[in-house]
Amino acid sequence: MTQSNWQIFKNGIFTENIIFKMAISLCPSIAVTNNLKNGLLMGIAVWFVHVMVGLTVSVFRKFIHPRIRIPIFMLIISLWVTVINLILAAYARDVYKEIGLYLQLIVAFASLLARAEVFASKNKVTPSFMDGMGMGIGFTIALVLISFFRELIGQGSVWGWEIVATKPLLILILPAGGFFTVGLLMGLFNWMDVKFGKAGRHH
Amino acid sequence: MKEMTTKDLIKIMINLVVIYIAGGAILVMVYAKTSPVIFMGDKEEKEAALRKMVPEADKIEVLGTWEPHQKHAEYYVARKGGEDVGYIVETYGKGYSSYIHILVALDKNFTLQKIDILSHAETPGLGDEIEKDIFKNQFVGKTLEHIKLIKVETKEDIQAITGVTISSRAVTDDAVRNGVKMLKERLKVKR
Repeated sequence: MTQSNWQIFKNGIFTENIIFKMAISLCPSIAVTNNLKNGLLMGIAVWFVHVMVGLTVSVFRKFIHPRIRIPIFMLIISLWVTVINLILAAYARDVYKEIGLYLQLIVAFASLLARAEVFASKNKVTPSFMDGMGMGIGFTIALVLISFFRELIGQGSVWGWEIVATKPLLILILPAGGFFTVGLLMGLFNWMDVKFGKAGRHH
Repeated sequence: MKEMTTKDLIKIMINLVVIYIAGGAILVMVYAKTSPVIFMGDKEEKEAALRKMVPEADKIEVLGTWEPHQKHAEYYVARKGGEDVGYIVETYGKGYSSYIHILVALDKNFTLQKIDILSHAETPGLGDEIEKDIFKNQFVGKTLEHIKLIKVETKEDIQAITGVTISSRAVTDDAVRNGVKMLKERLKVKR
């Protein structure tokens, strides 16, 4: 592994963005992104769990017996999910009411187990931390983008502030609209990648 | 994979014990810190909901508890300047897919002033129409005899929402009527 920490960090945001590139953990990206606030808080919760799981797994990577690594990863993941769950329940009640159900579902996120298995269990603490940061921020950016467009076009508001009085396209705040938005943004990301990514590589 | 040796087994055991204890310790710390905050928040929320039921009251006191559907519920007296202005009953009704948690506000003569649906898990888009004002406002000014669900158009009693009969019935015949009945009986005994 000769990747620098910065490359590892960028990797999570662009090349291996959980939602737009790997297309996993899509359940919350549709369920909680009908407004910006929920999207951002869900993103931050996942970010926190990603970093903490990466750190913990990497610290204990030599200690964990390979035969029981998956149950141990699951324990670590559920530990940090419970922690963020309690914190949000205590200090962000309004948001917790809306996204509480999906917070508990973070335990089953494919991206967490995947990064623990593929990255953190094989790398030192600093790269694992950067990986967690990159993945978490990448996920947060994705959720913020999705929820921004859905709230703007579906409800005509941003962060609860009304921009236009009508609801321009109500379908976007319904689950079906979530799929449309994710699909369109995914397409946009891939298009940008082809257009600018290649140009970057030629230089 | 290699055969498991005794050494492996011991290592696995130590692994699990350490992770359980360390994880448990972290959870205990977080829980100890957050649970009082969560508890206070729940309490404040309930108080705010109660205040909303009888806005003119300056003091709301617990009168007693009762058990609709084996759930813990309370009833309250609302006071204004030391005088009783009304009562609030917390009640539950068994709906289509959940217990519907409701607050009922009554005046001194047990006439309904307001109902509020606190929580439920009825079918979204169908059962949750019980939250709509057009349904809830039917209860305003009703007395116990008229808290009954009727499936045809009515002004005297409570009219069911089309397609939402089970949830409407849970609110009307189960939660609200039983709550009001309970309150009347208990307060009569007292006086």
